[in-house]
Amino acid sequence: MKTDFFRKRILESINDPTLQTALDNNTERRLKGRDLAFASIPDWRERRIRAHNIRADVIERLDEYLETFIARNEANGVIVHRAKDAREAVGIVLEIVKDMPQSRRERGEDQKNIPVHLRSSVANPVLIAKSKSMVSEEIELNHALEKEGIRVVETDLGEYIVQLRHERPSHIITPAAHLKKEQVAQLFHENLGIPYTDDITELTAAARKVLRNIFLTADIGLSGVNFGAAETGAVCIVTNEGNGRMVTTLPKTHIALMGMERLVPNLDDLALMLSLLPRSATGQKLTVYTQLLHKPMPGQTRHLIILDNGRSRIRASPLKESLYCIRCGACLNACPVFRELGGHAYIGRDKSIAPYPGPIGSVISPGLFGENYVHLAQASSLCGACRDACPVDIDLPKLLTRVRAGQSSSPSGRGARGEGNNGGAGLTWSTKFFLQMYTRLSTQPKLFALSQKFASLTTTLLSPRSGWMRLPAFTGWGYSKDLPRFAGKTFRERIGNRKLGIGTLGNSELVNSSQPQSTNPPTSQSTNLLTDQFTTELTALSGNVHQTENAANTIIEFLISRNIKKIYLQPNVLDDNLLRQANINFTHEPDPQIAVGVTKAWVGLADTGSVLEADEELPGSLLPEVHIVVLKSKDILPSLPDAMPMVKDKNAVFITGPSRTADIEMTLTIGVHGPKELHVFVDVSNSG
Amino acid sequence: MPYNGLMPAVQLFITCLTDSFFPQTGEAVVSILHRLGMDVDFPPDQTCCGQPQFNAGLRRDARAVAEHTIKVFERPPRSLKTLEVLPDIVTPSGSCAHHFRHNYLELFEGDSVWYPRAKALADRTYEFTEYLVDKLGVTDLGAKWDGALTYHPSCHTLRGINVGRQPRALLANVHGATLVDLPNAEECCGFGGVMSVEHPELSAEWLKRKISNLEATQSPTLVVTDAGCLMHIMGGLKRQGKKQRVIHIAEVLNHR
Ligand code: SF4
Repeated sequence: MKTDFFRKRILESINDPTLQTALDNNTERRLKGRDLAFASIPDWRERRIRAHNIRADVIERLDEYLETFIARNEANGVIVHRAKDAREAVGIVLEIVKDMPQSRRERGEDQKNIPVHLRSSVANPVLIAKSKSMVSEEIELNHALEKEGIRVVETDLGEYIVQLRHERPSHIITPAAHLKKEQVAQLFHENLGIPYTDDITELTAAARKVLRNIFLTADIGLSGVNFGAAETGAVCIVTNEGNGRMVTTLPKTHIALMGMERLVPNLDDLALMLSLLPRSATGQKLTVYTQLLHKPMPGQTRHLIILDNGRSRIRASPLKESLYCIRCGACLNACPVFRELGGHAYIGRDKSIAPYPGPIGSVISPGLFGENYVHLAQASSLCGACRDACPVDIDLPKLLTRVRAGQSSSPSGRGARGEGNNGGAGLTWSTKFFLQMYTRLSTQPKLFALSQKFASLTTTLLSPRSGWMRLPAFTGWGYSKDLPRFAGKTFRERIGNRKLGIGTLGNSELVNSSQPQSTNPPTSQSTNLLTDQFTTELTALSGNVHQTENAANTIIEFLISRNIKKIYLQPNVLDDNLLRQANINFTHEPDPQIAVGVTKAWVGLADTGSVLEADEELPGSLLPEVHIVVLKSKDILPSLPDAMPMVKDKNAVFITGPSRTADIEMTLTIGVHGPKELHVFVDVSNSG
Repeated sequence: MPYNGLMPAVQLFITCLTDSFFPQTGEAVVSILHRLGMDVDFPPDQTCCGQPQFNAGLRRDARAVAEHTIKVFERPPRSLKTLEVLPDIVTPSGSCAHHFRHNYLELFEGDSVWYPRAKALADRTYEFTEYLVDKLGVTDLGAKWDGALTYHPSCHTLRGINVGRQPRALLANVHGATLVDLPNAEECCGFGGVMSVEHPELSAEWLKRKISNLEATQSPTLVVTDAGCLMHIMGGLKRQGKKQRVIHIAEVLNHR
């Protein structure tokens, strides 16, 4: 196969200093973050095996789990659609748009104020606010919708940036990982009409402003799905910026788009996955907003589109294990190939950028789309860093060799076990020829020995003086290194015959190796300890914890000290009279103008510094700039799994710190779409 | 001395790279095993393990070579006829050990004739340092070295067959040597067999990084457990006109 187009793209990436700096930056921070996050779960090896087994079971019995999951969702009032391919999925979305009531919200916005790229060709178009979904990239949804005059706006900061640049995301977790802040600065300057600034906080604030209006006026919110829990029908969506929560809760219609393989059996299994996904993806113990949605919000319609698009075929193929993937992106960060290329160099024969880059992409892109991408699997040294990083222990090197062996069943239905029709898929003909010759030699020992003699002679003639020879670059090897001369006498010649005999007995200074065992002493946990741990964890995430004997009074003091006059208040959280006495206005109705919201947590989680709340309380917990939470210290539980029984059939959100992003140059910025400040008032009194 | 039926024995799989390019590594392996009282058998018909073909996706070819290798190692050593079970196989390459242990099983999965034979081979295969430490319980070979050493854990040794602590334990007991940590040691050097030819531009970038990490240690000597990495990194050093050298761990351990 000729793969010059791919090699050319590889060279372009390697020779792009801006890209290389950005990629080094991504790699180094992500690897470090991941190591640190895993240090807090010493049993991660066992978790990883459990996670692997859970995913294996799900993929094995996928039909059963899907049936339960769909039935639960329908019972919960969710409209479920199955799409067998991209065309069907796009068709379903278009149908939903067509059936929308004609009277759409008045946006009061002038097309002139909309960034050029995001303008629609039709007047008053349907507006879709979208949070990150790799599946939508896979089916090229945006493109299809825009063709129909629908306005689609990506709301994840990184996705928004690449959308403005007319690019594909270059990383499944950090879409703009390939860009430097100056490039974003110029982009925002040109598109958002703001003065040029490369201050990342200012850039983030500018995007927040534009996108906030999108959230509030969108007709439809469209999101991906991180996990579905079959037993309860929960749809789990995680985002750090808060955009996922916005698009799933604010618009009157929510469309969730999921790959059919994204299931786990139940909420306990989900808790396990959630202990691994954010650690692997972003080095966090828990993503800031971890939503578990069971039913539509009041007055909302929710559609769930479950996509096959080749997954059933992969499931029946030797690449099945690739479906265990939870899309954490850790294998990308660990991969030395990705580190040189970035996501945009993984291109198909038709020059299209593969929807999924990195090691997992080099398996599933050919798995889903066949031939066009098989050569990607050859670009790997099979070093195994990907497998090492994978939280569900997918044997990626093995799968890469299967793609190379032509076992990726193509959409046309070819491919079987063993060597497929396309053994040596993506290999250049010269390498293939050489290897086939080598097979002949390797199966005929006499010929093998003879060829060694011949090679030794030739290389000695070529390089009589030095033990190392310079080969020309086109040989591949000669591109960056010299080749050793073949030994004048091979090992087999030197030892003469088969039997080497016995040596003298081993010497007495030999010592045995010993294997140290480490143990973890169990700790007893009391409420106090849990509160302290909660405080430490949340504080580390730039959250604020106030321990108090009287939450109401302390909150009112806080509001007065900050000169706050009006708040959104979740009903029955604070005594209305106390607020009135303090001259603080409050409302129980959603009001996007309000800067402070007060809500009540069901429970807290000590080991991640999270609070669990009703997702419906977003007027208090998501829209304002400051979010105040009331939490009783006796309600602080050790860890995520302990809280799962409370979620059962509710719409719940675990909030872990103020909203944040690292989409520009991996620089942590607090306060994106959600609150900039999170204050948890922990009531340590024994009453109530 | 003929085999007396009491001495423990091993079969040596030397690997095609060591055989053709670095015979001195093989001699060091034999000499160490001899000193430990082992009887070493070298089946003369051995060639290559077939990993290049396997990794390239040429499974039919890989199978042909694997079948040859399995047959060669199934023949009981002439002098060891009295043994009821075949001895362990030792190889100075984590990569070839990984290939025997994992890829052979992948190749013959579902094959009722060859799978059990491949499995039997896999089960008695050990990488050299693994054999010394885990099987023989040896960590001090009385080796002596003057100066600094730094260690690059080869990918297939470390992640392929999970042999990480064994080479380090052995190096820690080399008398007189100063062990220096190699920064980002676990990164691939870019050899990757066929990849270094198929994607030389990628391979070159990693090699550059490996060499600059090596330079940062100021150690003149880099120790590896695989002839592939040795040939690759050394080839890069030669090309760049650098003075450092790369050496197989067996030669260090045999240095007295
Ligand atoms: S293959 Fe593993 S490491 Fe890679 S994205 Fe999927 S789950 Fe993460």
